[in-house]
Amino acid sequence: MENIMSKDIRAVIDQCPDVGRILEEYGIGCAPCSVGSCLVSDVVGIHGLDPQTEATLMYKMEKAIYPDRDVPEPKVDLSKIVPKEINYSPAVKNLVDEHVLIKRMLALIPTIADFVENSETVDKDLILSCVDFIRGYADKFHHMKEEDIFFKYVDEQSEIIKIMYEDHDTGRNHVKNVVEGAENGNKAQIKEHLNGYRDLLTQHIKKEDEILYPWIERQMTDNQIGELFQRCSAADASVGEELPKKYEKFIIELEEKFAKEN
Amino acid sequence: MSDCCPGSKTMDFSDDEQTEDETGARQSQLKQWPIQLHLVSPQAPYFQERDILLAADCVPFTLADFHKDHLKGKSLAIGCPKLDSDQEVYVDKIASLIDDSKINTLTVMIMQVPCCMGLSQIAKSGADKATRKIPVKQVVVSVEGGQVLSEEWL
Repeated sequence: MENIMSKDIRAVIDQCPDVGRILEEYGIGCAPCSVGSCLVSDVVGIHGLDPQTEATLMYKMEKAIYPDRDVPEPKVDLSKIVPKEINYSPAVKNLVDEHVLIKRMLALIPTIADFVENSETVDKDLILSCVDFIRGYADKFHHMKEEDIFFKYVDEQSEIIKIMYEDHDTGRNHVKNVVEGAENGNKAQIKEHLNGYRDLLTQHIKKEDEILYPWIERQMTDNQIGELFQRCSAADASVGEELPKKYEKFIIELEEKFAKEN
Repeated sequence: MSDCCPGSKTMDFSDDEQTEDETGARQSQLKQWPIQLHLVSPQAPYFQERDILLAADCVPFTLADFHKDHLKGKSLAIGCPKLDSDQEVYVDKIASLIDDSKINTLTVMIMQVPCCMGLSQIAKSGADKATRKIPVKQVVVSVEGGQVLSEEWL
């Protein structure tokens, strides 16, 4: 099993598709991932499964890869498995709370895309104000705290962090295309890249809330948790408390505008 | 706090070098004196910008590895929310630790018995009273078996 642990998950799933199905059973969605360069050991470790669940998962994967091997089945006492509620430290809780406002923007995107399609001309101001939210709040205010502060507490060369950075870059590219579409009145380009941004960020936020953030926090000492809190608080103070309020007001107004139109 | 009484004289021995013990006995992770919350000065040097452990009196007796697993790297204050008097002083001292000594984090360790929750309440009240904000964690320890039952950021 050791040699499998150090292989890329994509290579293992390609060799034995059942492994992808087994991971799905445990809420680990590696099979549809287009990158798949995470090591099997990282994939299992990062989800923070309790020891008994992890042992069963490893057993099932080993049996799938080596069906003829005599592998002892781990004894699992289901009564001892208690679903864990994620308890974030205050700084990370703030990052998760910022996701909520971003998700409200993502929820509006299908309506905005339909509005663009059904309008005679592109409402450039509307699109650029949405872009301003994405760039000013989601990217500058939120992603920069992740990139400049939070992700620095783990190895930035680890596959999961590289994937997060790739997601941020892909998101920025979608936004660039939305701006280009708005400048040129290209409805199809706006719609394609707004929806692309929505799909990307929806998965990205889910991965961060449920897997990445808890994984990083498990590796941090209390001293680092305190330092993280002070550094994030200083970053928030540097932009001022008006900035998040301004963007929250923008989302409320946007929700009201489209609630009226529907 | 008078420095004349050895029981309450402030001592910071965090810089003392630890030597290897050839007998294999574990070394104390306590780096200060005093430790009782009524006796400590919240502005003592051993609290400055540190991670603080506020433990209920019974906690260290139930956990065999208290020094290694919980005290190491932290400064300590202890108290009993059931028996200690003048607990409003505790609230003020927690607030002073946060504002004046600019502590980094506060971890409150309590027993699972209901009356011990009072110490978490004292910590929360002190944190609410302080102007600075810091992460506060609650750790609950079982009476039987001395295990950590839960750890959560408040």
